Amino acid sequence: MIIMSTRRWALTGIGLAILLSLPLFLPNFWLVNIFGRALVYGIVALSLTFLAHYGGFVSLAQTMIAGVAGYAVAMMAPNAIPLGDVTLPYALAIPLAVLAATVAGAVVGLIAVNTREIYLLMITLALAVGFSLFAQSNITWFNGYEGIRNVVGPEIFGRPFRTPMVFYYTALIVAALLYLLVLYVVRTPFGLVLQAIRDSNRRTAAIGFHVGLHRIAAFALAGFIAGWGGVLITFYNIGITPSSIGLWATVGVLIMAVIGGLGHPLGAFIGALIFALMDTFASSIIGHDRFNTLIGMVFLIIVLLSPDGVWGMGGRLAAALGRKDRNKITGSNTGSEQPR
Amino acid sequence: MTLSTSSASDLPALVLDGVGRRFGALHAVSGVTLTIHAGERRAILGPNGAGKTTLFNTICGDYPPTSGKITYFGADISQLKPYRRARMGIGRTYQSSTLFNGLSVRENLYLAVRAAKSGRFSMIKAGPGHTDLVRVAVLAEQVRVDHILDTRIDAVSHGQRRQVEIGMALAGDPKLLMLDEPAAGLSAAERPELVTLMAGLPRDLTLILIEHDMDVALANSEKVTVMKDGVVVVDSTPEKVVDDPVVQAIYLGEGH
Repeated sequence: MIIMSTRRWALTGIGLAILLSLPLFLPNFWLVNIFGRALVYGIVALSLTFLAHYGGFVSLAQTMIAGVAGYAVAMMAPNAIPLGDVTLPYALAIPLAVLAATVAGAVVGLIAVNTREIYLLMITLALAVGFSLFAQSNITWFNGYEGIRNVVGPEIFGRPFRTPMVFYYTALIVAALLYLLVLYVVRTPFGLVLQAIRDSNRRTAAIGFHVGLHRIAAFALAGFIAGWGGVLITFYNIGITPSSIGLWATVGVLIMAVIGGLGHPLGAFIGALIFALMDTFASSIIGHDRFNTLIGMVFLIIVLLSPDGVWGMGGRLAAALGRKDRNKITGSNTGSEQPR
Repeated sequence: MTLSTSSASDLPALVLDGVGRRFGALHAVSGVTLTIHAGERRAILGPNGAGKTTLFNTICGDYPPTSGKITYFGADISQLKPYRRARMGIGRTYQSSTLFNGLSVRENLYLAVRAAKSGRFSMIKAGPGHTDLVRVAVLAEQVRVDHILDTRIDAVSHGQRRQVEIGMALAGDPKLLMLDEPAAGLSAAERPELVTLMAGLPRDLTLILIEHDMDVALANSEKVTVMKDGVVVVDSTPEKVVDDPVVQAIYLGEGH
């Protein structure tokens, strides 16, 4: 156990060091459009992984909830085009936007409180599509099809948010904090109840927990996480449009979470990184006509090889290597075949 | 929160008054009238499909009764939600082990301890030595699983799962404990462990036990209720039940 956790700490340290030092040797394009993008979309995928892995709720509404925060911050942002009726400094607009997403998460949780599996998917998908269509047709607040532009984000230490270094480090810090939040919460009473609901919601009620309220609270927390993602995505895109929270964006976040692996919160970011790489480079590898085919093939291969995504693949690889090491130590003289 | 002895003897722990439960056209349980006194050990016997587990489900609230009334220490609980009944001190185990498979034995017991208190939504992790964790250790010892606390539930034996279940049902200091076939599927080696455990339960705890095995049921109870086809056929002491012709017919008919 001790060796395991030391190794884990070492891996965490190495990973963190690499991520922190990326700006030293990566060109800005990679920093912002690959890693930065993976971090901000990964946050939304993280909210999905949190609900799916620990609660057993696969919610397709996470992109829409991120969109609530994105639109909220855009409507309040100074310099936005068109300018909203009420403009607030970013220091207020961002927390309010995240709060809006938290409330939206709770509302989605409330609406879907008694549904599970395919019905939960359908309800959350319907909400997602409904919200995006509403944003598209509403001119007064959402500016319809065009959406809201020029949401540049706050200045941090006097430097514009769009500076690659500022954007990257902000995204990294927010993503890391939310990732740690998930890892911590799932060991608290609240997080354990969530896993209990996943394993047997009948017994969870039988020992005295109000399953419905816990579900709603979990969706609210997932909304809080997705909200941060939504705010950062809006700054990344310098604005927000209905299509950025539409069906394709919803499916995109689901793909990130699944190919990365729903088994661990880190899977969300791995998936988002692969997605960003494929989305950016597929067209230069195979040309504009066929690049979606290549993307689809890669995702299909990942899911076929490893139903629990890249994270699961890594886990099995590590286990296999560990077994090999043990064989070496025990010096199995019966050959390489080990009885299972 | 324990009742004084006088009031406990005044109020029956559980009164079922014409309790019935139907699923569509199927009357799983009908017209069950029973009084179970505080501190009583009651066994419910009957062949498969007699409605024993359905009766449990109406009492704990998983499937509230479709007719009749359930009174628990004087309070009408017929239509309360399961979590409300659990907080009033009704604990139960299930026939099929439905524990929280992704969590350790410790975490399963810990959740049951937390469920009985406020702060169910707490987002603060319990540190070592926390009172809840002390309580978990006591429970684990009581149900004799203290040596496997950090093992994941899906890796422990069937008998140990049963013990964890009873520990979880005991976590809220229940006044009424309902055990649904606790000995089912246990090996000969595991049975004595369960019997020891049950013998160690506090005397003032009201216990209702569904048991298939007649010998186990009779040895662990003061009164026996025999059910068949959703109705109570005999409600008496173990001695009389053994001699009852109806009961003999049921069990001999099963090839007992």
